[in-house]
Amino acid sequence: MMLLAPMALWFLVIGGAVVALYLLKIKRRAATVPVLEFWLALAGKTRVHSLFDRLKRLLSMLLWLIIVICLVLAIGNPIFSLGRIKPRAIAVIIDNSASMQAVEPASESRTRFDLARQALREISGNRPVTDEWMLIEAGREPRVLQPWTFDTAAIRRAGDAVEPFSGAAKLHDAIELASQLIAGKQDPCIVIISDGAAGELAPLTAADDRLIHWPIGTTHDNAGIGQLAVRAHRQNGNYHALISVVNASDEPLETQVTLEIDGRTDSVELVSAEPGGTWEKSIVIDAPAGGVLRASLDRADALAVDNEAFAILEPIRPAVVWLVTPTDSAFFFEQALASMDPLVWAEESLTLTPEQYPAASAAAAAPDSSLKRPDLVIFNGWAPDALPAVGRFMVVNACPAELGSPAGEALASPQIHLAPRAHPLMQHVSLQGSRLAKAKRITLRQPGRVLAHSAEGDPLIALIEQPERQTLLLTFDVLDSDLPFRNAFPLLLRNTVSFMHEDAPSWLRPAYRLGETIRPSRALPAGTTEAKLTLLRGGTTQESSVPVVNGSFALTQTHHTGAVRLEIGDDAAFAAMNIGDAAESRIAPVNATEDHAAKLGLSRRLLGGMPWLMLAMFASLAVVLEWLTYHFRWTE
Amino acid sequence: MGQSPVGGRPRASKGPLFDPSFLQRLETLNLIARQLVRGRRSAARPSIKKGASIEFKDYREYSPGDDPRSVDWMAFARLGELYIKLFRQEEELDLWVLLDRSASMDFGDPSKFDHARRIAAALAYIGLGNMDSASILPFDTDLRTGLERMRGKGQVMRLMKFMEDMTIGAETGFEKTAQMFVSRVRRPGIVVIISDFYGLQKARAGLDRLRFAKHQVHVVQVVSPWERNPPLRGELRLHDAETGEETNLTITDSMLKRYKTAFQAFTTDLRKYAMRSSIGFDLTDTDVEFDEFVRHVLQHGRLLA
Repeated sequence: MMLLAPMALWFLVIGGAVVALYLLKIKRRAATVPVLEFWLALAGKTRVHSLFDRLKRLLSMLLWLIIVICLVLAIGNPIFSLGRIKPRAIAVIIDNSASMQAVEPASESRTRFDLARQALREISGNRPVTDEWMLIEAGREPRVLQPWTFDTAAIRRAGDAVEPFSGAAKLHDAIELASQLIAGKQDPCIVIISDGAAGELAPLTAADDRLIHWPIGTTHDNAGIGQLAVRAHRQNGNYHALISVVNASDEPLETQVTLEIDGRTDSVELVSAEPGGTWEKSIVIDAPAGGVLRASLDRADALAVDNEAFAILEPIRPAVVWLVTPTDSAFFFEQALASMDPLVWAEESLTLTPEQYPAASAAAAAPDSSLKRPDLVIFNGWAPDALPAVGRFMVVNACPAELGSPAGEALASPQIHLAPRAHPLMQHVSLQGSRLAKAKRITLRQPGRVLAHSAEGDPLIALIEQPERQTLLLTFDVLDSDLPFRNAFPLLLRNTVSFMHEDAPSWLRPAYRLGETIRPSRALPAGTTEAKLTLLRGGTTQESSVPVVNGSFALTQTHHTGAVRLEIGDDAAFAAMNIGDAAESRIAPVNATEDHAAKLGLSRRLLGGMPWLMLAMFASLAVVLEWLTYHFRWTE
Repeated sequence: MGQSPVGGRPRASKGPLFDPSFLQRLETLNLIARQLVRGRRSAARPSIKKGASIEFKDYREYSPGDDPRSVDWMAFARLGELYIKLFRQEEELDLWVLLDRSASMDFGDPSKFDHARRIAAALAYIGLGNMDSASILPFDTDLRTGLERMRGKGQVMRLMKFMEDMTIGAETGFEKTAQMFVSRVRRPGIVVIISDFYGLQKARAGLDRLRFAKHQVHVVQVVSPWERNPPLRGELRLHDAETGEETNLTITDSMLKRYKTAFQAFTTDLRKYAMRSSIGFDLTDTDVEFDEFVRHVLQHGRLLA
């Protein structure tokens, strides 16, 4: 037997007080009565004279001593074990991931996380005080919540302070961290309080005897949105959303998922999945204006957090293309661009002569200009000696001096060879068998990627990407080939417009996992002190601000699914926050294959793990017995 | 004075036993008694003896030695036989108050002894005003010297002084007391015994002796709340107030419960004995005012009947 609160032994001095009180009690108080004979006749055998009667008094005192001892031991919170309990160093990992928010119907609708905290209290409360404890949180990022301590109350307080987290757990990282921290400790072990949904724990616990999985939860009843991914199709002016629903329950799933854009229902999809299966579907969303896409699953189950997911639909804007070409060679390019609606914004696009280009370029750069800045400028048969430092360009049958220099005679009837590695620009473009009358022999002055070359290796199509400028260089005259009669060149032109037409990259990623800290992907403008924050959660919005320091910020309010909008001046960025791990939806607990309590040294506890209660009950029984012996002794 | 601590002994208060208001209350009681006596005395207290009075009772034949003055000569003239006229004899009415002054009476607040003295004084006062004589005789182990055959209200101050000076004595010996009383007082009278009547078996023998001596016996049992519900519990050394004997005793709640039952039976047994033996019986608690009790006795009891 060991006492978890040995300080209670100080109360044993009460036993001494009991003996003293009994000694004092022997000194009888004197009392005068009118006639003693009356009392003696009444009391009969009640007078205390015999040795037997004195022994009965001793019995009463012994009973009181037993009562005191039982109560003192009960206060000391003893634990009994058939074996010897050695002090251990116990690192407890508590899983606070999304699956731990599942409600357990068998446990009075408490969440698994509540049960985990209760398990922590139970474990720490039923081990000897000589144990050393540490608590690690496995949710967001593995971190030590309570360093090594002998104070189990501190462990329980730290456990109570852990907040549930709606993201995926990083149990393996937490185990690795704990493994490092228990090195050198006496008889160490790692107790993982988890439902095991975040990863298979059985092989780990089987491989490492120090790992003890303390299983939590029993319910399987859950279906959740495992993935919601959206890709914009600029060429079609719409989006493709890939959504998958995980059915982790034991019953077939028949439900529906609703897609909303900025709170307006866009579509409803019927969902059906076998037990343990997954339903997936790619859905076309025709909403070029963009918005916040919310997918919600119409099903009440144990885990609510995975019943919705968010995605950001960036607005699809058609590209403004300037064609700078001599008038006599403009027709083919104009027709090709005109066929690219809605990829090309015909109303805002221009066809310019080389002479008009400088003035138009200067006008578009003016702050109040009505001209929209071009997303792509196509130079055909002419190019300025120096391209603008910023922009996206396609140079056909010309070569700015800064990009390349003539390397001798022109190539005559060169054969086109495509580079082995695929590039988005060359998607669906088949140039095999195309005939070119001639091509310029150019040596690239800037590092570039050759997408097609001649048999001699001279570049025919090359992409030169610089920090602020992208240039696709074609060294041949399109009109001096058979490309106008093939589909290849219009496809190349469409790919070029699509590839080159990218909005300025957002300073946020489109999606973040729950719990992940959101930071800008690039430095924010100098002088920015704060960013306006709008959190979209379900149907509600919360507005606040995020301080910006040294061109960056750290947004940690990412514990719930939803979307976030950050604004700095006129520049706004969106991001979605989702669980991001279909495994969290599979809440079926992993049943521990071992006796975790036995492994921790608590399995052979006697008296149901609450010996203090038994001692208290025994003391109560002794009180009753003493009362009976006192009130009925000597006479009954 | 309140109750003594647990296990202690309640002491009698030391206030004046008879104050001016006491006499006023006595006079009130006397008026009540006088009204009762007027209504009852002539018819209710005839003597069984035949004697010299103006009230004719019967005739009987003349026997030698009879007083010739009592011969009815008119009857002799009519019948020729000598007959003696018999008249109802008027008997003197004596009140004897036997007051227990044993140590067991020194309990309660007011003490049973004080309470008993007030009742005794009240009865004697009534006797002085309404009867032929009134006597107060204290007793403990035996009969002590008291005030005998006081007549008239002029004895009141003497009575009060005597009662005031009376002290607590030793053990109770009522049987011996009764024996002494019977041998000293030959003429039957009203005998009121005021006591706690502990040792009932011995008390019965004494009461029987008084009863057999043709006295009209009336008992007043005095008890105190302390006795009804003694605040005793635990390991005690009990001390007998009369004998000084000591004994160790463990008094528990169950024993106290049995004590209360037994004490109730003790008073009940005395009452039943009194009823069987045609003895007047009254029970008084020390927390009841003496005049209230005496008024009750006068109106409902048989003391003046």
